Amino acid sequence: MASIIFKRITAVFLTCLLLSACGGSDKSAENDKLSVVTTTGMIADVVKNVGKDSVQVQALMGPGVDPHLYKATQGDLGRLQRADIIFYNGLHLEGKMGEVFEKLERIKNVVPVAGRIDVSRLLSDPVYKDAHDPHVWFDVKLWSSTIEVVVEILSNEDPENAAFYQQNGKDFNTELQLLDNWVRTQISTVPLDKRIMITAHDAFNYFGRAYNIEVRGLQGISTLSEFGLKDRVDLVNFIVEKQIKAVFVETSVSQKNIDAIIEGCQQKGHDVIVGGYLYSDAMGAEGTPEGTYTGMVRANVNTIVKSLR
Amino acid sequence: MDAFYIITVSTLIAISCGILGCFLILRKMAMVGDAISHAVLPGIVLAYFITGTRDSIWMIVGAGMLGIFTTFLIEFFHKKARLQTDAAIGVTFTWLFALGIILISVFAGQVDLDQDCVLYGEIAYVPIDLWITESGQNYGPRALHVSYIVLILIVLFVRVGFKQLYLTTFDPAFAATVGISVSLWNYLLMGAVSMTTVASFDSVGAILVVALLVAPPATAYLLTDKFKYMLIITCIIAVIISFFGYYLAVYLDGSIAGAIVTVAGILFMLAFLFSPSNGIVFKRYLQKKEAAKLSQEPAQ
Repeated sequence: MASIIFKRITAVFLTCLLLSACGGSDKSAENDKLSVVTTTGMIADVVKNVGKDSVQVQALMGPGVDPHLYKATQGDLGRLQRADIIFYNGLHLEGKMGEVFEKLERIKNVVPVAGRIDVSRLLSDPVYKDAHDPHVWFDVKLWSSTIEVVVEILSNEDPENAAFYQQNGKDFNTELQLLDNWVRTQISTVPLDKRIMITAHDAFNYFGRAYNIEVRGLQGISTLSEFGLKDRVDLVNFIVEKQIKAVFVETSVSQKNIDAIIEGCQQKGHDVIVGGYLYSDAMGAEGTPEGTYTGMVRANVNTIVKSLR
Repeated sequence: MDAFYIITVSTLIAISCGILGCFLILRKMAMVGDAISHAVLPGIVLAYFITGTRDSIWMIVGAGMLGIFTTFLIEFFHKKARLQTDAAIGVTFTWLFALGIILISVFAGQVDLDQDCVLYGEIAYVPIDLWITESGQNYGPRALHVSYIVLILIVLFVRVGFKQLYLTTFDPAFAATVGISVSLWNYLLMGAVSMTTVASFDSVGAILVVALLVAPPATAYLLTDKFKYMLIITCIIAVIISFFGYYLAVYLDGSIAGAIVTVAGILFMLAFLFSPSNGIVFKRYLQKKEAAKLSQEPAQ
């Protein structure tokens, strides 16, 4: 009796498998362009600028997606497998997926662009030195060091175009140096004592370090570490004391916590406004200026400067 | 091969979870899987404090310990405090989850540490999450190995202890009189549940595991009154939902876990409506037939 049932279940299972084996026929890439998949839009932007027409780039995390909460779809899996090269951020930005990539490095061309940055240039937890802040892209100089990695990997994979990639990398590097200077001049128009940025999520620590702005986050790096009541009171007192005019909301994180702070300040008779929306973990929609890395940085800096000055 | 790996892993895990789920729903403890998914948080945090890494293996060890501790606490509150099982489950997992959050915010505010990013896997990664040794030897998807080992252990456990599990589920008082230790078998079952859930969280993610523990057994429950048939139907449902769920996800280009759970929900609705023994439609039909008979009788 039991063995018959077992056989039937196995039969059903095997039939299903057979059907599934017939279904999938992979389309091979119809052109000889390098196919590159990246996790965040920021990395895709670097690859686009280095590879231009000779690579086909796809970012898994679209506009407005929080990398911490991203879940891969069936299509993403196919994209990852068909890719010649996979670039990801590393430093645990992608959570569990990063761990999968780490192992995949042994058999496939998978590269953590931020993971290649020298450890001495990274911010880390005061207690756990090995836990680095993964949000490296808002320090433009630091981010420009990823260009080198992308150029190297693309050149290895496609040596014929190596000179082309090197030239593009150089151009983009110059563009980022200009951007870095522009950010510095913009920020310098804000008086030193006004350079305090309050945001919902700690994605701006590198930005703060690079451009000499004090950054206060409303929650820890982990989306689970809630803001304590005392932290909230401290922050409200801090805002009132320093007469800070604006706080910032991020496009990929909820506004709830910031609203609570604004209300707390109003009760103390200090009006603070939402200075605007900042791009933090994801870029703007494709086709808009904010859909590129440089556009996103410019938009953020403009928002910050306008409301703090 | 992707389809093959994903459907196989999903099926194997669905069968493991389904078999345990059959016992759980009859013991009114179906949501213990959900409870474990939250209650493992302090285990993860402590494992991180001790080892200083976020490698899966240590996270699983920490989560596994807390999983067992959770089921132990639930059983303890239920037994000693005479709390209903659902209340015992609710108190235990919310308390442990809260403990985890406090640990994170006090000691590791700058470290990205939660189940979502260090423990829960995603079934879409099964074909690329390979077991590769340092020397580059590729043994195929890691989750595949995990899932058949778990299934073998669960089948062995249920096969060896079937009589004891069966009796302690349906008639604990009788089981006690014939000399079966009710609490021992409760703890063994709960241990098996926490091992299975934690290993499966790592392979395929939390929501899928929680759903697989409940939905297929609940559907099977509507279709039969015999426990053995319930186990068998659960296994068949496991195969069906994995297969159709995967292709629904392909068709929609959506989350695979989401699609599998959706199919499981649809099957449950169908069973709810059309089950020969308990289905709404069939019951209505019987009632009408009965009513017609009654109204005809005086005329005869």
